[in-house]
Amino acid sequence: MKQRLSLMYLSFILIISSRESSSSIPSNSFIGIPPQDEDYFKREIIKCKNGSKKFTKAQLNDDFCDCPDGTDEPGTSACPLGKFYCKNIGHAPSFLYSSRVNDGICDCCDGSDEYDGKVKCPYTCHEAGKVAMESFKRKIEVYQEGVILRKVEIGLAKRAIARDKAELSGLKNEREVVEKVVHQLEGQVRKLEQEPQEKDDKMREARNEKVENEESGPDKNVDSQIEPMKASDVEKQGQAGESPSDQNEKDEHESSEGLSREELGRLVESRWTGKKSGEQVEETDPVKNDQEEGGPDAGYEESVADNSGRSSTAQYKIGVQDLKNSSDIATPSGKSWLDKIQETAQNFLQSVNLFSIPVANLDANKIRKEYNHYTAKLSDLESRISSLTEKLKFDFGKQNEFYLFYDRCFELKQDKYIYKVRPFRNATQEDGSSETQLG
Amino acid sequence: MKMKQVAFLFLIFLASQTVYSWKKDEFRACDQTPFCKRARFRKPGACTLIAHDVSISDGDLTAKLIPKAPHDQDQDQIKPLTLSVSVYQDGIMRLKIDEDPSLDPRKKRFQVADVVISEFETKKLWLQSASTEKINGDDGGLSSVVYLSDGYEAVLRHDPFEVYVREKAGNRRVVSLNSHGLFDFEQLRVKKEDEDWEERFRGHTDTRPYGPQSISFDVSFYGSDFVYGIPEHASSFALKPTRGPGVEESEPFRLFNLDVFEYHHESPFGIYGSIPFMVSHGKSGQSSGFFWLNAAEMQIDVLAKGWDAEGGILMPTEQSRIDTFWMSEAGIVDTFFFAGPGPKDVVKQYVSVTGLPAMPQLFSTGYHQCRWNYRDEEDVENVDSKFDEHDIPYDVLWLDIEHTDGKRYFTWDKMLFPHPEEMQRKLAAKGRRMVTIVDPHIKRDESFHLHKDASQRGYYIKDATGKDYDGWCWPGSSSYPDMLNPEIRSWWAEKFSYDNYVGSTPSLYIWNDMNEPSVFNGPEVTMPRDALHLGGVEHRELHNAYGYYFHMATAEGLLKRGDGKDRPFVLSRAFFAGSQRYGAVWTGDNSADWDHLRVSVPMVLTLGLTGMTFSGADVGGFFGNPEPELLVRWYQLGAYYPFFRGHAHHDTKRREPWLFGERNTALMRDAIRIRYTLLPYFYTLFREANVSGVPVVRPLWMEFPSDEAAFSNDEAFMVGNSLLVQGIYTARAKHASVYLPGKESWYDLRTGTAYKGGKVHKLEVSEESIPAFQRAGTIVPRKDRFRRSSTQMVHDPYTLVIALNSSQAAEGELYVDDGKSYDFKHGAYIHRRFVFSNGHLTSSPVGNSRFSSDCIIERVILLGFTPGAKTALVEPGNQKAEIELGPLRFGGQHAAVAVTIRKPGVRVAEDWKIKIL
Repeated sequence: MKQRLSLMYLSFILIISSRESSSSIPSNSFIGIPPQDEDYFKREIIKCKNGSKKFTKAQLNDDFCDCPDGTDEPGTSACPLGKFYCKNIGHAPSFLYSSRVNDGICDCCDGSDEYDGKVKCPYTCHEAGKVAMESFKRKIEVYQEGVILRKVEIGLAKRAIARDKAELSGLKNEREVVEKVVHQLEGQVRKLEQEPQEKDDKMREARNEKVENEESGPDKNVDSQIEPMKASDVEKQGQAGESPSDQNEKDEHESSEGLSREELGRLVESRWTGKKSGEQVEETDPVKNDQEEGGPDAGYEESVADNSGRSSTAQYKIGVQDLKNSSDIATPSGKSWLDKIQETAQNFLQSVNLFSIPVANLDANKIRKEYNHYTAKLSDLESRISSLTEKLKFDFGKQNEFYLFYDRCFELKQDKYIYKVRPFRNATQEDGSSETQLG
Repeated sequence: MKMKQVAFLFLIFLASQTVYSWKKDEFRACDQTPFCKRARFRKPGACTLIAHDVSISDGDLTAKLIPKAPHDQDQDQIKPLTLSVSVYQDGIMRLKIDEDPSLDPRKKRFQVADVVISEFETKKLWLQSASTEKINGDDGGLSSVVYLSDGYEAVLRHDPFEVYVREKAGNRRVVSLNSHGLFDFEQLRVKKEDEDWEERFRGHTDTRPYGPQSISFDVSFYGSDFVYGIPEHASSFALKPTRGPGVEESEPFRLFNLDVFEYHHESPFGIYGSIPFMVSHGKSGQSSGFFWLNAAEMQIDVLAKGWDAEGGILMPTEQSRIDTFWMSEAGIVDTFFFAGPGPKDVVKQYVSVTGLPAMPQLFSTGYHQCRWNYRDEEDVENVDSKFDEHDIPYDVLWLDIEHTDGKRYFTWDKMLFPHPEEMQRKLAAKGRRMVTIVDPHIKRDESFHLHKDASQRGYYIKDATGKDYDGWCWPGSSSYPDMLNPEIRSWWAEKFSYDNYVGSTPSLYIWNDMNEPSVFNGPEVTMPRDALHLGGVEHRELHNAYGYYFHMATAEGLLKRGDGKDRPFVLSRAFFAGSQRYGAVWTGDNSADWDHLRVSVPMVLTLGLTGMTFSGADVGGFFGNPEPELLVRWYQLGAYYPFFRGHAHHDTKRREPWLFGERNTALMRDAIRIRYTLLPYFYTLFREANVSGVPVVRPLWMEFPSDEAAFSNDEAFMVGNSLLVQGIYTARAKHASVYLPGKESWYDLRTGTAYKGGKVHKLEVSEESIPAFQRAGTIVPRKDRFRRSSTQMVHDPYTLVIALNSSQAAEGELYVDDGKSYDFKHGAYIHRRFVFSNGHLTSSPVGNSRFSSDCIIERVILLGFTPGAKTALVEPGNQKAEIELGPLRFGGQHAAVAVTIRKPGVRVAEDWKIKIL
């Protein structure tokens, strides 16, 4: 076998060195033709493959394009649509664009694309073949490793899905109970609100207290904190949207005169760069930033960033909060705990109900407090249920082998960028100061 | 503090705005510019200067300009001005007016250095005598007349003073100055006590220590229907009037090099470059030209007919005429009058003053792929290999500012480009080049050797107080080397040596951007006018030439780097008269819309007309995302720009030709391949420009000077004398109206179909190509083999496409050299002339050439030839070649429509004859 190869190699070298050096017409008129096609070209009159024309045997590879589809010039660069076949013995055969034939660059590992004597191509097919074989072997190994990993993942996923489903159904039960309680408390609260006007002062007091309680209670629900922020976002957006663009330009004109030289430079630069100005300012003046965050305008900056479409940071943060919250709640919910709630709530309601008229202020506060407590609980439950339901909706592969990827974050450091991929969620590119969402 | 906070919030807010537009009010309008406002208010006849002491001295006609009566309107006209008229070979008159140096003016006014080439002085004709004549009908007014050239005279009228060129026969005027008495020259003087010379604009203060020093005058072009030139503006090719009856309120054409963010596609506003050279053309078929060598801010009004109807001087009316009004903030009057008479003569006259366009390297006439930015070495490798994968040729890959270490030019970002030399070598192995960007702003960073060196040597431009000027650009705080100083230019040039520019290799070339100069926190985004250059020259005096000197220094650097053997390639954004000697320019940061595609044609035509033949617009448009159709149309048009480069802003989506589906890839590949097949023709045209100044891309009227219908056509253009191309400038176009000038026919480049000349054709338009035609009577050399880049095409055979005229004749030329060195200057080139007549095609040499090539001619295509003949006889050797029908183009399914001589096999370097039997 080996002997045969080297023989062919030798005869090949002989072929190249024997051809005429000044002409680019190949000495072997079958050059560039794949073996399975050779019979097609053995006739005296040959058809162009697209049927447009016929040509003679002498016109095959005569370095002049007769067929628009390149049929007559498989071995030269004469037809732009021609394809050159390299045998590449020792490696895989390949086709080249005709533009590569005799262009002074060795493309085939057997060097057959360069036969006009302008360059000498080394025969590299054996090396190339070896390399290809190696990489193919490695691919197989990787595949096999992958198969094992996949099996493990499938097993883990099964368990995780079972766990999540169990949790989901548990949560749903819990929701039912809590909904009931909330419903009952709601009735009570409504009653309280129908109390005569004279109680107003005291009620206000009570409400204040409630607010204080809410603020001081760190374990209070997240939604109620997020909600007002979102509202303010919308407001700010609205404001920004209202001001017409020419107004902005005017403002910029007026303000640009008050800018320092550096600020003006950054401002003008930011037109081209689109985004750099703000970030750089942030970098250079962290003190100012801190002050602003503490000031009455806190939150403004973030909302402006939202307007710009550079909202990645903000969204990202919220995403993190989501995760944290859900994992906080995800304490296994035992039945005993559920029963307890039900009991306490019932007891509480009953105790309040004992005094039918009038409800003492203290009780009113208590009711409201409880009501708020359970509403919060309910919304926590709902958000956890919906996030679990959402999660379970995804396609995690045939055997749910990607289930556990849901909560994973893959990081890759490439030069100055850090790429983070959170499967089923998002992908980002960070370069120290800024973060870009990738599609 | 509060104020600062507000400003800070604004910054963030503004940064968040995604929709931008040209901020017009950030730039000075004429009425915000004292010298312009003042000049525009002047009335015809306001100038009362007369020429006194007229005599011949040192071969010039000289005089003193003094007020006719003391203490008239020109109150500041206290000292006489010196005037000199010189004449040069080939019909060029030079008029200079300056303050009299012997009267000890407060400061020497700036004369633009290093623009007029030294050879020009050798063409000076030493005047021996002037004849004096009395003007008819004038009460005894005298004129001095001197010889200009065969058929032309230069005339100085004494009272009131006026200078003009006239044809001897019939005393017909050609170009004149001060015929309307608008001449004004503000002499330098001492500040009066109550005067405030400072000028303020949007928070910037110009100290103007020398006070007003502007110059303005009127120039008239006779026998003229249109004027052209004075780039750079995004506007029509034929300049629209800016003042006079029927003209709405308009700014004058402004010449002030500025980095205008998202410039508007139809505006007289000044952008990146300035060439104060205007060309006129009229029904007579004759052209003339006027060039004012002055690098200060200039404003030019084109005056509508009848602008002087009230109260002006009545001019002879038998000739159609266009009047123009030129205003400049500073400098002197150093003007050149070009007598023509043909359009190509005017261009030749202009380049004999400012220099011939450089002969580019062959690779630079191919396709360039650029983007802000190719991110890293892997990205470069990937883009490069995609071209091969899709079999699309290209020659140069470009790296924008992000390749550097913190915008310190001559450095590489070590993370992204750790192996710059290897990267360039990989490209070079495929015959491709790389271009990196080098801008004039130098980061003020003590650890940056370039900054340290420049500041220690005192090489930076100074601010008005004498400290190094500190501006803001990409790197942040930056300073700018004083390129007016030849010593600093030579210091700069050294920075391009392989030792100094670490990571550079012989296949690396340079791009100069931001050289207007762009200064983000300067007035109008440029340098303050009171900044100081060599010898106390104020920036205001040379502003428009700063980018020119920078371009020059960079090109000299590349020349030095290659021991004077390798032709430099430097692309510049800013330019001035003479920039054609140093490289290519492009039309800056255009936008991805149809209007910008459309305006690129008049912009490129104008640049070519004013010497800058190697120019193009960013294909695809820099800002914004072109829809695929626009991108394809842009490639189809851009393939005919002299400089053909795709470029994009970094916030745009990737738009390399293979990203828009197979069909669009095929269309863009086809467009780029058309360029490559035509490279022999383009290279021949670049050589023509290199010896004559006649541009590669020309207006129709340059080839058809008497065809009036062509005078204001800037939708179509000529590539050389043989091809006419018209872009498709609208989406989903089904038809296009194309005017084909002249009496002879035109052949569609794709189908070979013949169209009659001298009429408008309504043509069907397909997505496959834009209208393009070969003029009957011409021969175009092509190379129809497709390759990876121009480098691999060197040995490929030629195809000659002969378009026969009504007498079955045609002619054309081919120029070939090594494509890179200066050996062609010593005769190492092939220059052939092909003539077809009486059924014979003959190749004969032009000039004495000593260059060898193994290239043969593989195919001769005859358009407009009656089929029938079967064979041709090739001499010498008396070999027979077959004649058959073949396709006109390759690379697609093209029908066999053209009479083709198959494999005549003659060598391109030799004399031969092919006879059709």
